[in-house]
Amino acid sequence: MQVEFSKIEGRSLPFYLAAAVLAVLGIAGVYSTYLMSAHGLYLSGMTNRVPWGLQISMAIFYIGLSAGSLVVSGLYGIFGKLEYKPFARIAAYLAMLFLIAGLLSILTDQGRVDRVFVKPFTYLNVTSMFSINPALYSGHVLICIIYLWALFREKGALTKITSFTVCLWAIGTHTGTGAIFAFVPRELYNSALLPPSFVAAALSSGAALMILANVAVFRGTGRPMDDRLVIWLGRPLLAVFLVCTLYVLLIENAHRFYLAESREAGMFFLFGGFHSLMFWFGLIIFGCIIPAILLFVRRTGTSVPWVVFASCLVVVGVLFERFLIVIPGLIHPPELFPGWEVTGTVLWEGIVDYSISFYEVLQALGVLGIIGFAFLMGLKFLPLAPTEAKTWTAA
Amino acid sequence: MKLSTALRDKKLGTVVTILIVLMLLPFGFSAARFALAGDPEVPDVFLEMPVDYYNRCVEDTDYMRFHHMDLLKRIREEFIRDGMRGNVSLTNCRHCHTSRERFCNRCHEAASVVLDCFGCHYYPEPDSESQQTGL
Amino acid sequence: MDRREFLKKGGAVLAGSSGALGLPLLTSCDANVAREGSPLAGRKWGMVIDLSKCQSDCTACLDACRHENNVAFHNDKRWDVHWIRKVSIRNEESEDDAEKPVLLLCNHCENPPCAQVCPVQATYKRADGIVVVDHHRCIGCRYCMIACPYNARFFNYKENEEWPNTDFPKRSHGVAESCNFCAHRLDQDKRPACVEACEAMDIRALYFGNLNDPDSEVSELVASEPVKRIRDDWGTEPKVYYLGL
Repeated sequence: MQVEFSKIEGRSLPFYLAAAVLAVLGIAGVYSTYLMSAHGLYLSGMTNRVPWGLQISMAIFYIGLSAGSLVVSGLYGIFGKLEYKPFARIAAYLAMLFLIAGLLSILTDQGRVDRVFVKPFTYLNVTSMFSINPALYSGHVLICIIYLWALFREKGALTKITSFTVCLWAIGTHTGTGAIFAFVPRELYNSALLPPSFVAAALSSGAALMILANVAVFRGTGRPMDDRLVIWLGRPLLAVFLVCTLYVLLIENAHRFYLAESREAGMFFLFGGFHSLMFWFGLIIFGCIIPAILLFVRRTGTSVPWVVFASCLVVVGVLFERFLIVIPGLIHPPELFPGWEVTGTVLWEGIVDYSISFYEVLQALGVLGIIGFAFLMGLKFLPLAPTEAKTWTAA
Repeated sequence: MKLSTALRDKKLGTVVTILIVLMLLPFGFSAARFALAGDPEVPDVFLEMPVDYYNRCVEDTDYMRFHHMDLLKRIREEFIRDGMRGNVSLTNCRHCHTSRERFCNRCHEAASVVLDCFGCHYYPEPDSESQQTGL
Repeated sequence: MDRREFLKKGGAVLAGSSGALGLPLLTSCDANVAREGSPLAGRKWGMVIDLSKCQSDCTACLDACRHENNVAFHNDKRWDVHWIRKVSIRNEESEDDAEKPVLLLCNHCENPPCAQVCPVQATYKRADGIVVVDHHRCIGCRYCMIACPYNARFFNYKENEEWPNTDFPKRSHGVAESCNFCAHRLDQDKRPACVEACEAMDIRALYFGNLNDPDSEVSELVASEPVKRIRDDWGTEPKVYYLGL
């Protein structure tokens, strides 16, 4: 099957408007980062008890998003499913952009941004997940670029090899990202199931994003697309990923409940405040169960608007999941004196709260603006989008 | 798309040209200023004699002039990591080199090398006794 | 090239490349061995805190520490830095409301999680067992604060405007810090500021010394008295011992 790829026109008013908004967001994010590095990170909502906040949550969210795109890309690259060839280029390009977004989020979160480009290379500490991960991420970006090049040049063998490598590498990247938290002695972080749960949620959010991006590109440009392709992405693929995510989350929390020593922390996570609402409603009900039902029921699962709606729910749900990885583990205090209650102190000892500040939101939006702008420019200047997407039988 | 055709593509060519121009802008700016000034204005950096508190500096003048940063980097590793606290320290420099403004900033500004010492290390100004924070 | 030779050469190349990959691993393991000529080798500093003597309304050690090390205080719980802090704890089982004060500071663990996760080796266990931060290197990623299970590490969210002790550097904003047992004083054969302040108040609740020396005060206390460490079960091996916890 011959698939024609072409650049999009990119002269309409909505296109320019979207590009302008994204560019402004990007500039605002850069300005906010400048303010923070000049005046100190107190402009963010982070405190000495909650030293990681929105930016790290967003970073791991972006890293997760890149995975699913690669899997869709791999459907064509590895398994040779030709009907997914139309999506392969967009998927690889988006995966690269989201990895860059993750790196940007981590970068803008540092206290001394000026040192980040020198010190980690001169004084590498290999026992830190934080120095292993950037190597994994940048390697990932590099492989994505080679993969994209192979796709553009229609190099069959190289496509197969790089697509296989990039999928293997993606597992490493996501396990490494989960390990940032899992390998640390904190009650709600320290769990060997965190990396697998990270990978499962990453796959579901990425597949959902792929559905959204493709529908947006094809509907936005008015190019013809066979609905069955999107439906297939949603119905077996995304639905199965969602079930996996639910399963790992169930085991992770049940494990906390069964051990007497972590029962209190488990209770705190599930029923201990605002984050529990996020967990039950944002993640479990609206982020996993409802989309899974929507996808599994034949009537809704085969209609594109419903699939798109379910994908939106999944992306937001996984954003909550990322937030829930980072924040509850920090606001829950470590038990320093078992059997004793801490009554008076100069520091926030008990359960603290974390509120997102305006500047942090600006930073997060800025990263989103930069990669959104890059995506639009990619569509305009690179032959990413196909002129039409048909199934094999239709061709 | 072949590279040769890509280069002939008008739109792509424009974008690439704009990018290259943007990247070269700072260099072009200083080059233009240098050329326009005719008699280029070399920043007036002169070296002053330090106060005679110690008999001599820890190293020769030539070494200190070009390698004082290496010395500082070396002693800071020895200080912090190995507990080898000798008499050589940034705090003792100020006995002879009495002013941060005259002995550090002037040259560093001319050479555009950012100083990152005095956000944390105390080095008073003899003129105004106020301690400055920041870089 | 016959098969045998190919295997030989291939093996050599493989061994060489894997050795090259292992090089950073080796150097990082080597990191906290004292350099030649370092006076730190052979010592292991430790502290014993006698909680039965510590008085809940006394803040001598806290003030001394803040003054000696230019520790930032913004009068805001979110950003204040405490190298040493005092909490009061109450037994959950007992009926009476009797509270007792506990001093919390960096435990200078034998297995410091903070040093393990620092991506630039800025946090570092010296050869004498003190966990120090090299603020020249710190990039402010705050991973050490995530990793420290004792919440003993702090970040400079705001620039510290006070500078009481000009002989000692302060920290600019954007770097992490924690207690360093007054390493700069130890290197000049003085004792930590908090210990001296406690002695000056004639309370003597803090003992400081070399744990490797069996005749030192701390070693004798650790050997003879029922000392405890905070959460010994975590395996971090703290070097701050408590009497009467």
